[in-house]
Order: sequence, then C-alpha cells, then structure tokens
Amino acid sequence: MKSEEKNIKVALVGNPNVGKTSLLNHLAGTTLRVGNWPGVTVEKKEGKTFYNGYTIYFIDLPGIYTLEPLSEDEYIAYRFLTEEPPDMILNVIETPNMERDLFLTAELLELGIPMVLVLNMIDEAQKLGVDVDTERLEELLGLKVVKTNGRTGVGIKDILTAIVETYEKKITPKEIRYSEDLERLLTSLRESVKETKQQLIKKLLAHKEYLHEIERLYGKPAQQVIRENRFAFAHGLYNEVVKRKPITSTDITTLLDRFLLHPYIGTVVFFLIMFILFKVSFDFSKPFMDWLDGFLNDFVSPALGLALIELGMPDLVLRFFSEAVIGGVGFVLTFTPLIAVIYLLLSFLEFTGYLPRIAFLMDRVMHRLGLHGKSLIPLLLGFGCNVPAIVATRTMESKRDKLLVIAMIPFMSCPARLVVFSFFAITFFKNPALVIFSLYILGIVIALITAITLRKTILRGSLEHFVMELPPYRLPTLRLLFGVVWVYLKDFLYRAGTLIFAVSILIWLSMNLPPGVEKPEDSIAGKVGKALIPIFEPIGIKDWRVSTSLIPAFLAREIVLSSMATIYLAEGTKKKEEFSLSESAKEQLFGLLSATKEAFYSLINPLPRTFEVSEEYSNLRSVVSKSMDELSALSFMIFILIYTSCLGTISVMWREAGKKFALGFLIYSFLMAWLSAFIVYKVGSML
Amino acid sequence: MNLEDVKVGAKVMIRDLKGKEEVIRRVEAMGLRRGRSVEVLQKLGRTILLKLNNSRIVISKDIARNIYVE
Ligand SMILES: Nc1nc2c(ncn2[C@@H]2O[C@H](COP(=O)(O)OP(=O)(O)OP(=O)(O)O)[C@@H](O)[C@H]2O)c(=O)[nH]1
Ligand SMILES: [Mg+2]
Repeated sequence: MKSEEKNIKVALVGNPNVGKTSLLNHLAGTTLRVGNWPGVTVEKKEGKTFYNGYTIYFIDLPGIYTLEPLSEDEYIAYRFLTEEPPDMILNVIETPNMERDLFLTAELLELGIPMVLVLNMIDEAQKLGVDVDTERLEELLGLKVVKTNGRTGVGIKDILTAIVETYEKKITPKEIRYSEDLERLLTSLRESVKETKQQLIKKLLAHKEYLHEIERLYGKPAQQVIRENRFAFAHGLYNEVVKRKPITSTDITTLLDRFLLHPYIGTVVFFLIMFILFKVSFDFSKPFMDWLDGFLNDFVSPALGLALIELGMPDLVLRFFSEAVIGGVGFVLTFTPLIAVIYLLLSFLEFTGYLPRIAFLMDRVMHRLGLHGKSLIPLLLGFGCNVPAIVATRTMESKRDKLLVIAMIPFMSCPARLVVFSFFAITFFKNPALVIFSLYILGIVIALITAITLRKTILRGSLEHFVMELPPYRLPTLRLLFGVVWVYLKDFLYRAGTLIFAVSILIWLSMNLPPGVEKPEDSIAGKVGKALIPIFEPIGIKDWRVSTSLIPAFLAREIVLSSMATIYLAEGTKKKEEFSLSESAKEQLFGLLSATKEAFYSLINPLPRTFEVSEEYSNLRSVVSKSMDELSALSFMIFILIYTSCLGTISVMWREAGKKFALGFLIYSFLMAWLSAFIVYKVGSML
Repeated sequence: MNLEDVKVGAKVMIRDLKGKEEVIRRVEAMGLRRGRSVEVLQKLGRTILLKLNNSRIVISKDIARNIYVE
C-alpha cells in the first residue's frame, strides 16, 4: 500500500513578543532564539513534528501588529502570508492583552485561511484576573481555541490536536460581519464565491466611487472606516468572551519599574548591573579557566604524549599533537568557562525584559546621536555576538537608522574579543580588569565617532517618530536559560573542533614547511609574517609570530590565540618532566574542587578578583610575555578590538547592507584600528 | 488637551489621533485607540511611557502631541 503524504503547513502569526517562538520550540523541539522583548525573531524559521500520521511543518514569523508592514521584519511576515499562504494559521495571542491582539486576528480572518487560535500566557492572564470563555469564543468565531503556557509547555499537545482536527474536519472560521453599509458595498463587489474578504476590501479601496460613497456615509476616509470596524470587532468580541475579576495585588512590573525606570535611580542601577555583569563573568569563570589550562598542560598533554610514545609514534606526530591540537585548539577551549558565564548572564538579561528598558532609559543619549533609544537593542546584542545583532536591525523602519546602527555594532566588543583580551591583559598588566573595561569603552567611543561622522556626511536625515512596547518582567525557566547557553557553547565548541582545528593544522604545517626547515623564521609562516611587519611595526608589533597569527584571525578573532599558541609552541623548547598518571589525575580533581570553591566565593566578594594577578604563568604566557611589552600588547588589543576581523560579521553585513557597505566598512575599520593603535603606541612610547 | 501635557500618574481617555497616517495605524494597532483609557507612567527626555490595559508602550513626544485626550 502506498502511504499518502500527509503534510500540514502551519504558520505562527501574532503580535511581537507573545510567545510564538517559545511555542514552536516546544512543538518541534527546536532551539530557536527566544527573548522577552519585541523583535526577537526577524527571519522566517522552520520546525516540524509528527503527529497522528501527519507531518506538521511550522513556520515561525516575525511578530506583527498589523498586516500593513513598515519595517523589514514585518514585510517578511506579510509577504509570506500573502504570497505563499500556509494551510493554516496558528494565531498566537497574549491573553492579558487580548483586545489589542484581536485586531490582527480580524485582519488574518479576512485572508480566509483556516485558523487555530492560541491563547498564550494563560498563567499571566490568570494572575491579572483575565478569564476567557473559550467555548463561547470557539462558537463565535467558528474555530478551535487552545489555552497554553509557552514558558512551561502546558497545552502544547492540545495545539497539535486542534490543528489535526481543523485540518481533517475542514473547519473554516465564520466570516466577520462589519457594519451594514460597508458589508453592502463589499458584497456588491463580489464576482466569485472564492473571493476573500481581504480581496474585496482591496477592490473597494481601489474603487473611486465607493470611496466617495463611504466618505459620504461615514464622514471619514474609507481606510479609517475599515480600521474602526476591525477595532469594533475586537472590542465587541473581547467584551463578549472575557470576564475580568478584580485583583488586589500590585503588579511586580509596576513596582520594579518605579525604580528601574526612574531617571536617576534607574541610571545608577543600570551602571551597577553592567558592573556586576562584568565582574561576575570574569571572577566566576577565572578559576575554572586556570584549572582547565593546567589540566590541559599538566595532565592531558603529558598523558597523551606518554600514550603516543607507547604506541611508538615518531617525534613529528608527537609534536603535531602537542603543538597544533593541544596548543592551538586546546588553548582556545580553556576559555569555554568565560564564554559560558557571559552568555548565561546576557541571556538572563534578555529573558527578564530589562533590555528594552535600557533602550528607554538611554533614549536621551541616543537622541544626541540622531538615533532612537530603540536602536540601542541591536547595539546591546552586539556585546553577545555581532552577527545576530546586525540581523536584528531589520526591525528598524528607516534605512538610514539601520545603516547607522550596522556601522556601530562591530565596535561592540564580543566574547571572542574578550577571550583575546583576557589572555593579553592578564599576561601583561597588573590591573587586567581595568584594561579590559577601558577597551570596551574605547569600542563604544569609536562607534560614537563613526555614527557622528556618518550622520554629518553620507547618512544625513532627521529622526522619525518612535514607538516601542515594554514587556512585563518575566523569569526564564532554568531549562530555557541553560538551553540557550548550550546553543552558544555548542557553536563555540563546534568552531574549535572544525575551523580552529583546521587553521591550527595549516599554521603548524606552514611552520614546518618547506621540508627540513631549520629556523622557524625561514618557514612559510615566518616569511609571510615578516613580509607584513612593515605594516605593523609602527603600531608596535615587530614580531613576525604575532603578525602571522593575524592573517587566519580574519575568520574569527579567537583564532589569533590558537595560532599564536601553535607558533610559539612549535618554536619553544620543551622541558621533560616526571609524570605519573594516577597521581596527576588526583591532583587535577582536587584542583577542580578548589576552583569551584573559589568561583563561588568570588560571588560574595564585592571587589573584582581579577584585579589581583596570580604569579604563575602558563607556558605560553611566559614566552609571549618575552616577545612583547606592555605597550605593544595594548596596541595589539586595540587593533583586534577595532578591526572587524570576523568573517561572520562581514558576510552578514554584506547580506543586510550590501557589498559596497561591507567592504567599505572593512577598510574603514582597518584604518581606524591601525590609527588608534598607532596613536596609543606613539603616545605611550613618549611617556 | 494632548497626551504630552498629561502629568505623570494621571489617567486619561483618548479622544482623537492626528498626524501621519502610518504612525496612527501603528499606535492604534498597539492599542492606543479612541475611547481607551491610558495612564502616564513616566516621562523621560523625549519619550513618554504609557500603560494601557495590561501593556506598556513608549512613544516619542511628537506622537503624544497629536493624541488628544480628556
Ligand atoms: N509567563 C509566560 N511567559 C511566556 C509564555 N510564553 C512565552 N513567554 C515568554 O515570553 C517571552 C517572549 O517569547 P518569544 O517566544 O520570544 O516571543 P515571540 O512571539 O517569538 O516574539 P518575537 O519573535 O519578538 O515576535 C519570552 O521571555 C518567553 O519566555 C507564557 O505562556 N507565560
Ligand atoms: Mg519569535
């Protein structure tokens, strides 16, 4: 028997931040990005699941308030719905704001596509005393209604059942009836039974005589009359199905906002939060990083060496493993704790709903730059990773604002840069936290200079109006929080295992080529690096080993470290030590325990621990510290900060803003980086 | 009176919305509709934070100026 293809294509549609992506993640087991602010999803995303013999394809769309799009992300949702209509719409509604959301529902119903209505955030509705009579709602609209909690996943199964039932029984919603005169005109335009209400309205709006007729009848333009009819539908339906119970408890959001959005207290708290973020991500991860470093060098490396010798491997293989694999890839991996902690904290910020509030607080500052407070959201996301931050500019309505913000984002220092900074700052400076903090500030300053310059030259134009919704404060579930962190970590580990690994091999090979090369500086790597020295010498980089590492670092900044590690280790001499597997293993375990203790202890210590520098240096640190001085290390970090040495960023820029913009920006960032490093180096040398 | 002049903490009813069509469309869809009551929660620089029903909306003052209330 031939099995029939049973596919259902379902689009998730609703206002921004109502929980569409959260529901999809539960429905299809995806790990798509979720956050408590409007505009998280800016691209069409998919997921699928099997249920009752059906393959259900879900399409997650950016949130929209109306079917009259203004920004790019809204166009994506609009175009999808009108150009490739799905079999069914899953209209997600934020139940506490049901009346507002039902306006979009009216517009969606006009499309004539079968629909399942999802009343999400039912938990919050309950707390606010909003009680919906689902049966009555189903009866009035002629469709299935499901109550869900997108945070915990309650009601997910009911969605699937409702979809299949709607599909099998061919349930189509009742047609909405607008006011009498409007309906009369619409009906008279009908040429076939197949025409949807949306098509009739479109015809009406193109019909000169009817437009006049409506103005005469209602005393208002037709557009407005139609809109008001939709509002009336939403209002009427809401009053019909919602029972409001009086509640006595004050809302936590109102309470918190009184402080967090206070013009003065709010600003102080903002800086305090940023400080804590910075401190915790360092102090908590540092003990683990130190431990990992030791684990790799004092345990894994010798143990592996021992094993390889046992197997009778030649010296070259041994060197390959200790230099390219452990030295290069392993070294980058020691920064995993830092990456994990920083993403954990940033994700927490995104989940709570504080992010858009920063935008509100800082609007005054952004306004001076000719930008809306809202544009701060992509900029802040840039501290997590520049790539999604650039994509997030799709929510902006004006092209000018969008380009301006895209040109600022790459100067927001991301965790990849932090990894590089933390290595150099800790190796060279007594006060690493201060150095790194200053670098972050420098990045922001360069972004400001860029924005001001652009605004005065090629991106002139005035500021448009500004509207933004502030969500209530919410807490993520732990599962959600760690899920997100895991997605980032996986990405980091994957890169280490593929890209960084491949680069390390290439670097290692080029250090050992041409065959039989005696001195490392005569190798291919050495020659290339030396050829670059004239460019970098003025900014204090005189060592070919550093300039060589900069080339592959264009793929991703942390590669600068893996490459340097490979190069320096390939050059350095090794000391042989006694090594006992069992004893070492025990030592490592105790090391991990004390690192954990130290990490948690740091949480109750108000001062940044990273101000205190440990005395012992790892292998690489001591060699690098011999080939550079403080000043050239600083200049190098500045160069890495400002130069957009990241293939991912440049390619997404290319896609979102065009080839000319991306390449122009790359050159600009290189020049700015060089110039800033040059100034710092020269001024520093004079002091 | 327009919304810009409303004091922090006051609750008012929206009478009329004027100004650019696309702006009106947007704020109406977000819930600022005729006959709805709004509370001014905070004014900061060039923006105003409003509460309507269970949602909170930030609008710039140039929009608020075109929203007539009582
Ligand atoms: N309390 C509660 N929170 C929820 C519920 N559903 C989702 N959330 C939270 O609401 C926020 C928004 O969820 P998303 O899934 O990102 O919303 P979205 O509709 O995809 O948003 P956009 O992509 O911006 O349009 C997240 O912080 C979720 O954890 C729910 O039923 N109850
Ligand atoms: Mg989403």
